[in-house]
Amino acid sequence: MNTTYLPSDFLPIVVQFGLAAGFIVLTMIVTHRIGPSRKSKMKDDPFECGIEVKGDARTPISVKYFLVAILFVLFDVEVIFMYPWAVNFQNLGMLGFIEMLVFMALLLSGFYYIIRKGVLEWEQ
Amino acid sequence: MSASLLVLIPLLPLIGFLINGIGFRRIPRGAVGIIGSLAALGSFAVSVVVLMAFKEAGSTPQVVSLFDWISVGELSIPFSFQIDQLSLLMLMIVTGVGSLIHVYSAGYMKEDEGFGKFFAFLNLFLFFMLLLVMGSNYVIMFIGWEGVGLCSYLLIGFWNKNTDYNNAARKAFIMNRIGDLGFLLGIFTIIGTFGSVEFTEVFRQATGLPVGDPVVVVITLLLFVGATGKSAQIPLFTWLPDAMAGPTPVSALIHAATMVTAGIYMVIRSNVLFTLAPATLEVVAIIGTATALLAASIGLLQNDIKKVLAYSTVSQLGYMFLALGVMAYSASMFHVITHAFFKALLFLGAGSVIHAMSGEQDIRFMGGLRKKLPITFITFLIGTIAIAGIPPFAGFFSKDEILAHAFEHNKVLWVLGLLGSIMTSFYMFRLLFLTFFGSFRGTHEQAHHLHESPTSMTLPLIVLAVFSALGGFMGVPEVLGGTHQLATFMSPLYEGARQVNPAAFAATTLSHSEEYLLMGISVVAALVAALAAYVVYVRRDSVPAPETQERPALQRVIYHKYYIDELYDAVFVKPIRTLSALLFSFGEFFIDLVVNGTGTLVKVLSGQLRRTQTGSTGYYIFAMVVGIVLILFWNLLLR
Amino acid sequence: MYPIVLLSVLGIVVLFLGFMKSKSVLLPATLLFLVLALASNFIDWNQGKVLYFYEMLAVNNLTLAFNAIVLVSAFMIVAMTRGFQDQEEAQPAEYYGIMLFSLVGAFMIIGYEHLIMLFVGIEILSVSMYILTGSDKSNLRSNEAALKYFLMGAFATGIMLFGIALLYGATGSFNLTDIQSYVSIQGRGVSYILYAGLLLLLIGMLFKVSAAPFHFWTPDVYDGAPTIFTTFMSTIVKTAGFAAIFRLLSHSFTPIYSFWWITLAAITVLTLLVGNIIAVYQNSFKRMLAYSSISHAGYLLIAVTSLSPQTENAILFYSLAYSIATISAFGVLMLVSKKKALEGQVDESYAAFNGLAAQNPLLAFVLAVSMLSLAGIPLTAGFWGKFFVFGSAVERGLVWMLVVAVLMSAVGIYYYFRAIIAAYLKEGDIGKIRIAPFYRIILVVATAMTILFGLAPGIFEKLL
Repeated sequence: MNTTYLPSDFLPIVVQFGLAAGFIVLTMIVTHRIGPSRKSKMKDDPFECGIEVKGDARTPISVKYFLVAILFVLFDVEVIFMYPWAVNFQNLGMLGFIEMLVFMALLLSGFYYIIRKGVLEWEQ
Repeated sequence: MSASLLVLIPLLPLIGFLINGIGFRRIPRGAVGIIGSLAALGSFAVSVVVLMAFKEAGSTPQVVSLFDWISVGELSIPFSFQIDQLSLLMLMIVTGVGSLIHVYSAGYMKEDEGFGKFFAFLNLFLFFMLLLVMGSNYVIMFIGWEGVGLCSYLLIGFWNKNTDYNNAARKAFIMNRIGDLGFLLGIFTIIGTFGSVEFTEVFRQATGLPVGDPVVVVITLLLFVGATGKSAQIPLFTWLPDAMAGPTPVSALIHAATMVTAGIYMVIRSNVLFTLAPATLEVVAIIGTATALLAASIGLLQNDIKKVLAYSTVSQLGYMFLALGVMAYSASMFHVITHAFFKALLFLGAGSVIHAMSGEQDIRFMGGLRKKLPITFITFLIGTIAIAGIPPFAGFFSKDEILAHAFEHNKVLWVLGLLGSIMTSFYMFRLLFLTFFGSFRGTHEQAHHLHESPTSMTLPLIVLAVFSALGGFMGVPEVLGGTHQLATFMSPLYEGARQVNPAAFAATTLSHSEEYLLMGISVVAALVAALAAYVVYVRRDSVPAPETQERPALQRVIYHKYYIDELYDAVFVKPIRTLSALLFSFGEFFIDLVVNGTGTLVKVLSGQLRRTQTGSTGYYIFAMVVGIVLILFWNLLLR
Repeated sequence: MYPIVLLSVLGIVVLFLGFMKSKSVLLPATLLFLVLALASNFIDWNQGKVLYFYEMLAVNNLTLAFNAIVLVSAFMIVAMTRGFQDQEEAQPAEYYGIMLFSLVGAFMIIGYEHLIMLFVGIEILSVSMYILTGSDKSNLRSNEAALKYFLMGAFATGIMLFGIALLYGATGSFNLTDIQSYVSIQGRGVSYILYAGLLLLLIGMLFKVSAAPFHFWTPDVYDGAPTIFTTFMSTIVKTAGFAAIFRLLSHSFTPIYSFWWITLAAITVLTLLVGNIIAVYQNSFKRMLAYSSISHAGYLLIAVTSLSPQTENAILFYSLAYSIATISAFGVLMLVSKKKALEGQVDESYAAFNGLAAQNPLLAFVLAVSMLSLAGIPLTAGFWGKFFVFGSAVERGLVWMLVVAVLMSAVGIYYYFRAIIAAYLKEGDIGKIRIAPFYRIILVVATAMTILFGLAPGIFEKLL
């Protein structure tokens, strides 16, 4: 098999890129141009199941949602660390085991900290 | 000579500073002056003992190492003092004149609310000045150098409620910093070239270099830039007249007798290097002469008693540099010494006058003070005669030696020097006559208030007057039957320089008759100038025109006088005035413009650059991206 | 290495101590932990170069000395917090915990041997700083500063990470020693990828030490952050950042000095100009100190750019002198601005110091000494810092850079002396300020150190 390529060998790829990009740009322009566009107040209104729009969609959301979400991600990601550890458990031996214990201790102390801080108490 | 004795010299003022500086609110007024003066006198006494011991031990220079200070890589800088002829002479001036001025200040500043602070600063200044002259390497010298600049800044702005004074202080400091830049670069170049900053080591290595070695020329030029800043030479001289905003004892001590001579001390200390660089010496001589002339011509028409003395100081410093430029190192030092005496005397006398006049400094409102202030008058007269170069007073010997050396070196320099000395004689006698002769022109209250100053002020005046009168006899030239003790004393200092350039230190080629002639010319010229001043200001009783029209009565009188003297005015005053004004605008004004302009430029630039700090994160990131793109583009594509 | 382990654990301990009823134990505990860390730091002293954690972390006397500077600065700053008693919303346990964690980050970037360690360390340090910057939650400017810092910091981190990736691509290793051997074998013939990587990594790090043109965040962030954390940022982050840059360049990239020095020199000069010149215009003392920290980054960069045998000592001494002086300046500012806040208006301008010397001679003296030191006046530590830095530049022959630096330090005098003039010469009605005894000790010690190192810089040499 040929392992040395000249830049010209990549030409088909370039052509394909060009075609792909051109197609998108073209269709966007064409649809904007030829489609009839009539504007009225009714048409520009957001449609929400027939209910009239009230206020802004960007309302402040309680920070608790974010806290719980970020904590979930945090603990989730950290627990994933255990998979590669488990796979290599045999090789890592006793030292690996102790290291995992340290890791778990840190994780649990973080967990305890969260609980004591009352982050997970929804009603507060 | 024990190390502990030497340490005492700078230590005493430092202790005085600490006591007065920390306790200036608690210590009673009387004690403050005594502590401050005792610190200065004590260190003078120790200096005298050291000088005696030095002479007894056969006048061999020695370096007393106190402790290892810094060692960076291969460079090690010990904290040590060098005791030799030069530092001893400077020690005597600094502590001697310094003590007198301390005593004087105890009387002069008594009423001031910042009395304790003033003495603390004065002692601190003395400490740094002593470090400067005693240090055995350039780094200690530099520390003293910066320290005296700082103290000068604090003392110029001492009466800080006045913004002008603060500006003067800041101007002095910044101009000095520009000079310091040169000095600092010089030190670093010395480190780079010789690998050491110890005087002995640097000069030992330097003697092995050829005359005109380019590196040495660069080093000496840089050092000289430092000297122009501290010793107020063109182009960095305009801070000195402004510095007169400080209290008068400060002007006497810092801006006449000691600090401003630091540049000369530095050049003499580095005489080996300067002797190796004839090109630099030419520059030094030219700048010195130009400064001497420029400042003297401006001094001709100043009306502020301290301003006249300030310009006179600049001009005399110019003479000292002229001497250095023609390799008359001893003559330069001689002039430093005599100048310290008579200029300190003149300043202190001016202070006494200002004291009597309740703060008035304009000589147009003085006159006839000789009856009211007899001691001040007589001492001031002695100082004036001394500075004018009339024998047998101190200034004659030192100035004449400089002029003789200049003559030997280059006739043009001699002519210019002589011209300067004529102007010096004229403006000094003008000052004397306007202040002490004629009739009193001040207000009635001032006339009522006139009094001779207290003993603590007149005593230093008398002592200094004695020295101004007799100080010249330490250097009576051979032609007048003397042995020139000073030159003999100092000659071991030039061992190294003599080695590299023996011709420069050969005996004088002038014949005795030539020397007599030169002396005669300069004395006659000085006398004629003094006579001219006498004719104009005593016989004709003319008074310079006031700048404003605020005093109609006085102005009428002056106007009348000028009517009589119109002819004289047209022939003599006008051309000089035009010249002086021209030089003033060209020299002082122009330089100030550059300096102030730089300050303004920085401010404007600052105001504009500040706008880059818009507060918008998007803009910041954009600027960063532009920076990154530029860096990458230049490094990866253009190079 | 020991301080890293110790402070990681003790940081968690501080967090848990926060659950106790009495908050008063937090401050002494944190100080104790810092002392413990400082003691443990010297276990490895004079052991030569020791590598830890699979050769990811190096320990030698240089890194230990930097660690010690960081720890001493941290000790002073923590001591000046006074337990955050006077702030109702403050959460001292969290603040102290984060400070300890950020120190761990600082140690990592001081002692990294592996570029991943550098990255992780910088992230730990930066994230801690983002939080501390925004810790004054009710203050809009603090929030704004935190967000700005975060956005720009994230941007810089991205650049830096890209640089590390490119370096790895070019050399096949994250290890400084491996990179060094690669570079010295290839010489100037190394691939462009390495050049690009080095530049991007440097840009990321220069952002952290606020060198122009990556300095834009500094004034806004330093100004917005609570003063105590501004102090923390301007001393510890800067010291650690310069240690990191110095180790990177001196360890790995000396063979291609001729490639990077011009870029760094240009950045140095720009930093000096921007920092000093804009500082002239400021009326706020705190903002002036922000610009001053930019300008000091410039002076430190001179040493890095010259990279001569003296550089190591110069950077160490300069960081120490700068840190102590900055801490005491901010310490005085905090007391004065708190006094002003109690009297009604918050004032962090120069005018706040008017007449300080009349009733508070100690504070005025501390301020004056720190300003003199920052301005580089002899007989203060700052002078020798500048002296050593300039010396190393001369050794490399960068005299033109020295000229710029000395001129700029003359400009510096203008704005540093304004504070002294305000304190000593202007009239003001500032009353007697009460200083807690411990706070007073810290100020006095910092001032004494500034003067001591100014009188005898050799002592520092002896300590090493």
